[in-house]
Amino acid sequence: MLHRSWRRAATAAVAALLAATSVAACSEDPSDAKDLSENRAGAMSDYGIGKQFTASEPVSFSILYNNHPNYPLRDDWLFWSELKARANVTLTPVAVPLSDYEQKRSLLIGAGDAPMIIPKTYPSQEDAYVSSGAILPVSDYLDLMPNLQDKISRWNLKPEIDGRRQEDGKFYILPGVHEKPWQDYSLAIRTDILDELNLTAPKTWDELYTVLKAMKARYPDVFPFSDRWSKPNPAGNLLNILAVSYGLQGAGWNFQHTSWDATAKKFVYTGATEQYKQMLQYLNKLVSEKLLDPESFTQTDDQARQKLANGKSFVISANAQAVVNDYRPDLAKTNPTAKISKIPLPVGPAGEINPASRLENGVMISAKARDSKNFVAMMQFIDWLWYSDAGQEFAKWGVEGKTFVRDAAGMPKLAPDVNVIGLNPKAPKHLQKDFGFYNGVFAYGGKPELVQGFFSAEEQEFQKVLNARPPTAVPPPHPLTDEEREQASLWETPLRDHVYQATLQFALGQRDFAQWDAYVAELRSKNMDSYLDMVNKAHDRYQKDHG
Amino acid sequence: MTIDAAEATSGSPRPVSGRGRGVRPTRGYRVFQAVNAVVLTAVVVVTLYPFVNVVARSLSDEGYIIAGQVNLVPRGFNLDTYRLVLADSMFWTNYRNTVVYTVVATVISIVLTTCYAYVLSKKHLRGRTALVGIAVFTMFFSGGLIPNYVLVTSLGMKNTIWAIAVPNAINVFNLLVMKAFFESLPDELEEAAAVDGLNTYGILLRIVLPLSKAIVATMVLFYAVAFWNSWFAAFLYLDRQDLWPVTIYLRNLIAGATGAENVGAIAEADEVQAEATLKSVTIVLTTLPILLVYPFVQRYFVRGVMLGAVKG
Repeated sequence: MLHRSWRRAATAAVAALLAATSVAACSEDPSDAKDLSENRAGAMSDYGIGKQFTASEPVSFSILYNNHPNYPLRDDWLFWSELKARANVTLTPVAVPLSDYEQKRSLLIGAGDAPMIIPKTYPSQEDAYVSSGAILPVSDYLDLMPNLQDKISRWNLKPEIDGRRQEDGKFYILPGVHEKPWQDYSLAIRTDILDELNLTAPKTWDELYTVLKAMKARYPDVFPFSDRWSKPNPAGNLLNILAVSYGLQGAGWNFQHTSWDATAKKFVYTGATEQYKQMLQYLNKLVSEKLLDPESFTQTDDQARQKLANGKSFVISANAQAVVNDYRPDLAKTNPTAKISKIPLPVGPAGEINPASRLENGVMISAKARDSKNFVAMMQFIDWLWYSDAGQEFAKWGVEGKTFVRDAAGMPKLAPDVNVIGLNPKAPKHLQKDFGFYNGVFAYGGKPELVQGFFSAEEQEFQKVLNARPPTAVPPPHPLTDEEREQASLWETPLRDHVYQATLQFALGQRDFAQWDAYVAELRSKNMDSYLDMVNKAHDRYQKDHG
Repeated sequence: MTIDAAEATSGSPRPVSGRGRGVRPTRGYRVFQAVNAVVLTAVVVVTLYPFVNVVARSLSDEGYIIAGQVNLVPRGFNLDTYRLVLADSMFWTNYRNTVVYTVVATVISIVLTTCYAYVLSKKHLRGRTALVGIAVFTMFFSGGLIPNYVLVTSLGMKNTIWAIAVPNAINVFNLLVMKAFFESLPDELEEAAAVDGLNTYGILLRIVLPLSKAIVATMVLFYAVAFWNSWFAAFLYLDRQDLWPVTIYLRNLIAGATGAENVGAIAEADEVQAEATLKSVTIVLTTLPILLVYPFVQRYFVRGVMLGAVKG
């Protein structure tokens, strides 16, 4: 067992290392990167925006497939046959269980055995493979992808995409792209308690404090706010949504070492900023006035849910799914009159922003695919399926007349005999299980109408409020070299551990804020300045070379 | 049935009945016995409780589980999760795979381990130390994940049962236990058999193996349990879900029900129930068959290890 877990832990590192040795030998000479005359078999000569991609001869591409247990892979899906009919493309999936997808991906890339198309890769996961040469620098081939180019320019995605550029100025992932950021996480609050106390839902963190205070006054023996998502790191969601409301890049489960200081035009260390201190002071105020359960930082999700279900707390971190799948059913069993809803992300000192990223998991291309005679056809196909309006609608909704119909306004609507996420619970067929559409491998991103197609009215309302807020500014690119990345990861772990530890101590009142400067000095002794120096240098270097 | 089986795993001994047999036990011994009984009963409770709790949770309604009200007895009896898991034909395909892999891999392992161990137990074998060294070397060093993967792939074993059964066929620890057992058999027996005209293979098959039922049974148990529980080799080398063992199926099911993959999506009611009880159902479904094997080999299990260990 020990042996096995060791192997698992070492996989990623070993994979990246071996990828470097085993594949570097066959990487290309950059001079012929652009000569595609040998790779045009099956490609369309007049492919463009608004055009249906259809390969001029039958083509087949291998693809890494993330097998979701809720809709296990089936050969007889309408998705496959329709792809064949529309695009003349056959995809041959290498099925990997979702539970261990990333490990297998590392292994296959490391062993030089990766399929041509490697989807479900989250931005920054590609970094580990770049130096190996096993992954194609897709930015060199954007001219083959008119729909993606169009979306980048029309939706102003350049800053986001530039953030993915590596030190050589190229990017190696085709990320999923959203027109509007999609922020799912916020807080949920017992609205029946609000009504009882004649309060409205808090719009800002300060209003939340007032509301919690009122709840405490009425129910002195409860902690009105008891949070979840504290494993493995304390208050993962709460710290993150607070940090972004204070204008930082992220904290908690979205821990970001650096934040961009737009006025000083340099990166600062998130955990040492004045804003971070202020948000900890806010948390400390909640804890010391017994408004926030100190166990919030350590308890399991189940414990937090039990407190909420048993009326021992009224506020908890939430996403749309948690409200519908966890909190409401829990409460329905213990307290049928209780009502709970997600509130729009509370606003902090940074003002109204929508902190979610507009990039999604996306597609890497194996460097070997570049040698395929069907390479151009493959890039056109990817552009059509993942980035064209028609392809995105097809991947999500399926085939008109079979899986969906259009309403008077032309908006797609599920066919009456098709169910998905409980929208047509009586329907005999399932959009994902029986047809293979709305598949996490193929369907994500796009216009808000598409992304929110299956959202409940309540969730659409939530998104409307958040979409009215401007997206957060994306920090400028600051790609590290391989050696720098190695050095950075040596510095990052102790720094992160120390920030977590101090965060907990300050929030819980175990450490006085008079010691803040001492804490920052401790971070300095853990190489914070050298780390920042390196990141800022990387930023300057990038500006000089590619800015 | 489950309770019996669970008790067997906890390794609770038969009640010691020293009283009334010949010598009268001293007072100290009786105190020792009483303490012993109390401690061992406590051990039984401690080991049995989590399992009974898991069984109870697997049969309960999710509301009671969330409220933390399920202990020893199921509350709000509910079989939906069992129904959900068992209704999937892929579950049965994968379950059959597990049975096949376990049986085939165990047979291969037993044959290879027995042969190797028997050879190594012969002191007059030339190069014996080197052969032992080769085996022991693999306990401390391995080629690494990717070289192994490349090797198995280039041998053409990917997506076949052999990728599961062959690379892990000899477990060095088991090999050494077995070697020690064979060394403990008296040489005179084999000499007598040789005088009576048996060749080496005859000696192994007709004399040694019948005397080694204990150790073979132990090894069958060790290997079978290991192969039954294993998922990593299958995960590495099998690219088609109809080849996966049930361990991967259930591992994936749990990941799907609890993972962030579902963010923003609203699951169906049956999936909500599944999430609450899925882990328990999974544990029951995967441990039940192997638990049932224990009572049958347990007596060999105890004796076999003792014999090997003392002489080893």
